[in-house]
Amino acid sequence: MSTLALTAYVLIWPIIVAFVLFFLGRGFFKDWRQARKDGRSII
Amino acid sequence: MSSEEMASQQLSAPVTIFLIALFFGGTLLMSILIGKKKENADGYMNAGHNIGFGIAATSMTATWIWASSMYASATAGYTYGISGPIHYGLWGALMILFIYPFGKRIRSVAPRAHTLAEVMYARHGRSSQLMLAGSNVLGSVISLTSNFIAGGALVAMLSPFGFSQGILVMAAGVLLYTLWSGFRASVLTDFTQAMAMLGAVAVIIPVVFFAAGGPDMFETGAQNLTPQQSNFFSSDAFLNQGAPYIAAVLAYAIGNQTIAQRLFAVRQDLIKPTFITATIGYGATVIGIGMLGVFALYLGMEPADGDVNNLIPQMATTYLGPILLCVFFIMIIGALASTADSDLAALSSIMMADVYGQNVAGRKKADPKTMLLIGRVTMIVATGAALYFASGRLNILDLLVFVGALWGALVFPVIASFYWGKVTNAAFTISTLAALAIFIPVRFEMVPMVTATAFAVDVLAVIGVGVVLGLMAFGFFGLKPALWVGSIAAIITAPFGIGFLHDYHVLSGSLVAYAVSTLVCYLMCFRNDKSFDFSLIQKRIGSFDSEDETERPAEGDTTPAR
Repeated sequence: MSTLALTAYVLIWPIIVAFVLFFLGRGFFKDWRQARKDGRSII
Repeated sequence: MSSEEMASQQLSAPVTIFLIALFFGGTLLMSILIGKKKENADGYMNAGHNIGFGIAATSMTATWIWASSMYASATAGYTYGISGPIHYGLWGALMILFIYPFGKRIRSVAPRAHTLAEVMYARHGRSSQLMLAGSNVLGSVISLTSNFIAGGALVAMLSPFGFSQGILVMAAGVLLYTLWSGFRASVLTDFTQAMAMLGAVAVIIPVVFFAAGGPDMFETGAQNLTPQQSNFFSSDAFLNQGAPYIAAVLAYAIGNQTIAQRLFAVRQDLIKPTFITATIGYGATVIGIGMLGVFALYLGMEPADGDVNNLIPQMATTYLGPILLCVFFIMIIGALASTADSDLAALSSIMMADVYGQNVAGRKKADPKTMLLIGRVTMIVATGAALYFASGRLNILDLLVFVGALWGALVFPVIASFYWGKVTNAAFTISTLAALAIFIPVRFEMVPMVTATAFAVDVLAVIGVGVVLGLMAFGFFGLKPALWVGSIAAIITAPFGIGFLHDYHVLSGSLVAYAVSTLVCYLMCFRNDKSFDFSLIQKRIGSFDSEDETERPAEGDTTPAR
């Protein structure tokens, strides 16, 4: 693999992790808002 | 880098105490905020079967990422080179993905179950239930022990405190915030733990990469890699690391109660997005952390004291500043605590639902208050047992490989029990025991691999390849495509595998377990003229807190086959 390809291979994972982090955080706060709206505990 | 050099970059005692207090204090506070004076038994085990996508996906991701998976991925990167982390993390991630189609089926026939073993009791009876519950307990205790060991090792390496102090504080911290609210506390605290872990991974990997030399590392360090290590399609990495994990994809998912618990807890229509998100989250995180092992390989770094488990802390102490070292410390604690609390919740629900609820009191007579007490006592006992094992520093990962194969013997009987009405309790039990009886001598090289035995093992292993791939295809595409995929896979593998597979004991052992349990289970059932009525499962399993009148399971409760 070329140096450029190896660099991309290494750095793609933290980028994907950052995206997943965003979606998980957004999903959690949606659940939290919905629970508050319904007047119940989030879990 | 020597141990002495690493010692100079340790966290100080006050900083270590502050970080541990911050982490466990925060999780304890979250647990207190959702705590109820009177918890109910179903909430303690499954949080009411109705949790949303955000919490469920976060919890699944956090639970599946354990400290050992981070260390093991880096070890794979260091040992097998650039493809090593893929052959660890990708297949680990697919364990979550491939189980969700089966999970949807399991949930549809048993929407209010608490454990998979409980469903086996409703489907078959006691022996099937206890075999599955027993393997779940073994797996969770091993996982718990492994996480405490990882915590102790981390504390010993990065702080002035010792290993024993480390395992004790980790065990006490996890038990403290999980004890009162059980699964509810485990799931909610998973959110902060996942945020800490994933956030740390997103920052630490690029920081270490550029601190270690960036792209130039791949040119200056290329001579440190063997041709296999620098090959993305390395056969060494595939056969020694990847293939045994592919064989274990379904086994770990079926055998792990922490996954089943989340399957029964998430809202039924959210199973698919939850499992897919967790697959991506786990895969990217664990493969990403594995890159630290690849960097170490390119840099020519030797693991401290010859222990590859020291690679990640070594990379952290070498290339991270004080603030990011604290973040790294929290990341590892988050990984171990999120899995350890899930193991405690899993163990307590097995003792509550499978042992007390189904076998001691009986479902109709089970007292929810007694169940809660049993759940909490189980957590305390399990923590004590795991501390005892951890203090002896047992080789946990080897034991886990063994348990993985044990779960492999259960995969076909469990899955078939949810789709094929002809599967009986006797077939389930005998096929699993037969698979184990053949697996153990193959895995531990107890029989000499002369021509005849080697040939027999290879043939069974080839059938095992067909079973594994066929089951994977079955989950997504149904029976006919699965039969095609399984048959073609076995036919393609046969010319290469026969005369060759028996040399790879871990791989062939697992494949033989799959093949034997499948063959025995099928041969014992295909002539059965009775077919189980799956709607009975829903009637037999329900809430322990309500007064629902449901039928009790009985052997031979079947309807004629169509």
